[in-house]
Amino acid sequence: MAKPKIGIYGLTGCAGDQLNILNCEDELLKIFDIFEIKSFVMASSAADEESSLDVAFVEGSVSTEKDLEHLKEIRKKAKILVAIGHCAVYGGVQAMFMGQEWEKMYRRVYGKKNAVTLTKPLPPKPLAAYVKVDAVLPGCPIEKEPFLKLAGLLAKGVIPRHPDFPVCAECKWKENECLLLKGEICLGPLTNSGCGAICPSLNIPCIGCWGPIEKENWEAEAFLLKEKGFSTGDIVKRFSIFGGQERAEKLKKFLESKEG
Amino acid sequence: MRLFKIKRENLIPFLRGLEGFGELWGPVKKGESFVYARAKPEDFDMTALRTIIPAKKFFLPSKFTSLKFKDNRWEDDYRPRKRVIFGLHPCEIHALNIYHKFYTRLYPDPYYLRAKAATLVVGLSCIPDEHCFCYATGTSTVNEGFDLFLTDLGDRFLVWVGSPRGEDSLKLVEKFLQEASQEDIHKYVSWRKKRDASFRLKIDLDGMPEIVSFSYDSPIWEKMGKACLSCGTCTMVCPTCTCFDLEDEYDLRRDEMKRERFWYSCVFREYSMVAGGHNFREARSERLKLWYTHKLVGFMSEYGSPACTGCGRCVVSCPVGINVVSVVKALKNEETAALWVKMEVENA
Repeated sequence: MAKPKIGIYGLTGCAGDQLNILNCEDELLKIFDIFEIKSFVMASSAADEESSLDVAFVEGSVSTEKDLEHLKEIRKKAKILVAIGHCAVYGGVQAMFMGQEWEKMYRRVYGKKNAVTLTKPLPPKPLAAYVKVDAVLPGCPIEKEPFLKLAGLLAKGVIPRHPDFPVCAECKWKENECLLLKGEICLGPLTNSGCGAICPSLNIPCIGCWGPIEKENWEAEAFLLKEKGFSTGDIVKRFSIFGGQERAEKLKKFLESKEG
Repeated sequence: MRLFKIKRENLIPFLRGLEGFGELWGPVKKGESFVYARAKPEDFDMTALRTIIPAKKFFLPSKFTSLKFKDNRWEDDYRPRKRVIFGLHPCEIHALNIYHKFYTRLYPDPYYLRAKAATLVVGLSCIPDEHCFCYATGTSTVNEGFDLFLTDLGDRFLVWVGSPRGEDSLKLVEKFLQEASQEDIHKYVSWRKKRDASFRLKIDLDGMPEIVSFSYDSPIWEKMGKACLSCGTCTMVCPTCTCFDLEDEYDLRRDEMKRERFWYSCVFREYSMVAGGHNFREARSERLKLWYTHKLVGFMSEYGSPACTGCGRCVVSCPVGINVVSVVKALKNEETAALWVKMEVENA
């Protein structure tokens, strides 16, 4: 069997996901052995952009027109497109501001309307807003073990399944005390597992970097936090980091209605 | 049944002696809670009531590799280490008996059986706190399911022997054992009276299977569903929850496939999803109803007892107060302070 051809790319983001692939130091030779790497600019400038790909890994959000063009090119040549990292899967921290709010933020940072001339800025969005995404690996940044698991399955021709159960499960497997019960704003119940509950295991509440589970019950968690005495501002702030503007706005409205 | 006693000052050397069977595990403090951990017997906390995760973890761990596949051959190398687990209270041992029925009756689980053969269960008596309700589930005393059981009578421990393996293990600690006397039994009976009078949580499970069955269409489930976070904590901490999922992984380091087995939960949305994407229990309320019906009705008709042993773990673990006590009270139209009640008041 020929080695699967892969490419690893970055759009707008901190490049932390690509970096964490490079951080798989003990496994890198194995990865290079299993896959034929056609493009990984962060690791080597010798990229072959003409070749078709079996799998493309893409990190970062689509935040400029150049990002969008690049993404469309990658999609065209890749059989399987995998979004890696929170930015690519959910839009990232930058997706906190969208719509009119985004325009305002943009002016504040870049000043005049045409200050950025190389490319046209767009409100940050995940890959799936523009192209078909075949598999995802969330996390900010992605972690070594989940990445190796994903890469392993892809090498065997299996499209990995996205888990749909919350961090709390893994947190209980680790026999941690519940941080929500201890009075912290922990987003474990709303957040996808896969990270191994790293933060709560270190007594740090979950801030949701693996993105929300399907049909999350954010109303109940927001109500609970309100009951525990947290302010609307504090709750909205925590939910907004990785939850995007839309969810934050709904949440704010919900909490303000409770204030009467 | 043989009955011995040991002096309190001999408890630690007694437990050390049992280490001849295998690794010694028992309850130790973690934050404000307890966990079963491998530790020196002097570090065991004799006041521990319920650990965060029950003793089921010794029989089927939260996550383990159930088989490996390489070069067209598969192997299963799950070999639990020999262990002595100390400090299991009657509710915990009753739960293990339920676990045992479930995993041996219809389709004996080879992984469970291996762990069972490698584990020496040493029970310990307890005094209930405000969340214990084993008197209501009929599980406050235990006659089977342990190898040894210690009752703490202050200056001495009575030692019950519950199995041939328990009997054998006593050879390791013979020098600490004395035959129990009539006076010891009298002392035990008065301890029992005192213990039985010290339950503070008042709850009555009489008629529960019928009450749950007749509440099948009650609006209460919908209300609870609005508050449930579907976090799965109740099922992870429940000593009788058995559900698991399997997932295949390719380990590129060793060039082998492995089948991972891990605890799963019926309150997760994906649990009831089938091929094609249809979900039999899309609503949180349906999933909650399933759990309570299984615990208080279904298990009863299948195995003759409810699948709740009154350990109180759901009571102290659910962030929104949905637990056996609050649900039973709600189904009997009694008042509770659970979050779903407050949410309902707010939304009215």
